[in-house]
Amino acid sequence: MSRGVPAVEEESEPDAGEQSVSAPVTQEEPERELTHEEFDPKGTLALILMYFAILVVMWVFMYFIEFLGNDLVVVG
Amino acid sequence: MHIHQYEKLWLGMSLLLIVGFIATITYGAVGVGVSMVDDSGGNVDPNALDEHPEFSDPGVQKVGENEYEVYVVARQFIFQPDPIVVPANSTVTFYVTSADVIHGFAVVGTNANTMVIPGEVAEITVEVNEPNEYGIVCHEYCGSGHHTMEGLLRVVPEGEYNASDGGSQ
Ligand SMILES: [Cu+2]
Repeated sequence: MSRGVPAVEEESEPDAGEQSVSAPVTQEEPERELTHEEFDPKGTLALILMYFAILVVMWVFMYFIEFLGNDLVVVG
Repeated sequence: MHIHQYEKLWLGMSLLLIVGFIATITYGAVGVGVSMVDDSGGNVDPNALDEHPEFSDPGVQKVGENEYEVYVVARQFIFQPDPIVVPANSTVTFYVTSADVIHGFAVVGTNANTMVIPGEVAEITVEVNEPNEYGIVCHEYCGSGHHTMEGLLRVVPEGEYNASDGGSQ
């Protein structure tokens, strides 16, 4: 386990309890590894489905209503 | 390689979206008959438009049952003729060319829109429906008066259209 970037002035003995700020407080292995299928980001899925729905709605609106529904469709 | 089921879902939907986009464009082109401006209008000598059989006297001509041709000359900073008058419920083909520099020809709020290049004839065929009035603007910077360059397209009821005066009413 890394303890982060060492202090610039190496001579001054770091305190025994000092740790990198970004390091987790308890530097232990996670209690349980998630398997691939257990990783289940439902919130992300919901967000992406929302984006997808917006895309589909805008696509239908822009092509069929804004473009084809316009006057003077160019036919030749 | 193991792909998470959400990723499979996303990949599948993305592919479906692409197929949908292509199907939409295909439907527009084949089903509705939407087409693009191409080079079918041909070429013309921009310095001798006054000798051209059509562009020397730009205007509207009746060429068939409910079919009209409009010859339009764009020049700094007008469209000729102005206004362009056509009857409702007809098929109108615009032939637009420039006498000097590059102009634009956009019937405002519609899909009729093309670049106007000296020496080239832009040909656009449109279906006009109800009587209406549309502005026409130049959308290519063509000089100091560009922002004043505008025209008018009047779609009048069939009964009010006077074919003999070529739409210059
Ligand atoms: Cu202009």
